[in-house]
Amino acid sequence: MSLIPWKHKQGEEGGQMLPVASFRTEMDRLFDNFFGNAPGRELAAWSPLGAWAPPLDVEETDKQILVRAEIPGVKADELDLAIQNGSLVISGEKKEKQEHEEKGYLYRERRYGSFRREVSLPSAVDDQNVKAEYKDGVLHVTLEKSQEALPRKIQVTAK
Amino acid sequence: MTTQTNVTEREQNGAERTRTGRWFRPPVDIIENANELLLLADVPGAASDAIDIDFEDGVLTVEATVASRWNEEATPLLQEYGVGNFHRSFRVSEQIDASRIHAEYTDGVLTIHLPKAEAAKPRKIQVQAAG
Repeated sequence: MSLIPWKHKQGEEGGQMLPVASFRTEMDRLFDNFFGNAPGRELAAWSPLGAWAPPLDVEETDKQILVRAEIPGVKADELDLAIQNGSLVISGEKKEKQEHEEKGYLYRERRYGSFRREVSLPSAVDDQNVKAEYKDGVLHVTLEKSQEALPRKIQVTAK
Repeated sequence: MTTQTNVTEREQNGAERTRTGRWFRPPVDIIENANELLLLADVPGAASDAIDIDFEDGVLTVEATVASRWNEEATPLLQEYGVGNFHRSFRVSEQIDASRIHAEYTDGVLTIHLPKAEAAKPRKIQVQAAG
């Protein structure tokens, strides 16, 4: 299957990840895995241009495709979901709730801003039958595979 | 004006490393204003009753347990993040009124208010005119 993990807002560098940044992310992962550090969990979510994108996971069963995204700090109605050209597109904006004085920040690690992720779906889905729930900062999307995409048993007849 | 950091990350010690399971450091914002220190932490997937906040001897500790969200019967195709519990600890040198610490949790973001103790607040002192 092909997944397109690094699509950002159209028009920003065409959405491709820069090779250097990609290498850096891989190296970070390697180090974290090797040394068993508790990593910052959003390594995958840092884009080369400082934009922000939520990390995803995708699972597949016989009948469904499950997509989840960690997007803490948004409202359910601020999330946009669309299915287009065999891809699921998740977009929205994470807004800072309150403005604070710049000099008041002792730590500033959380990310804000608009984001867009596009996941190429491994099989055709019934786009009239998509369930999406947002709970405790995690978006859960359940897509039903379309009839044509379901595994089919073929009878072998003895002659 | 002197710049002074009132909150420092507490070093991981041996005791913390012996915890079982996967632990992650949640990203935080800590903001100081005249009345309080405000801590915001991203802890997606934690239920509000699975979050523990502890403030003792000037050390603030935040822990959240997170249940697995993978489906046992499904085949994973992509995993960009790990699911595990959250833990982070800070030493707070500012005088905090521990009895008034309060917290909210919405949409995966934990907000902790650490009100400054009266003694630590900037105070205007009235000069009385002597009779």
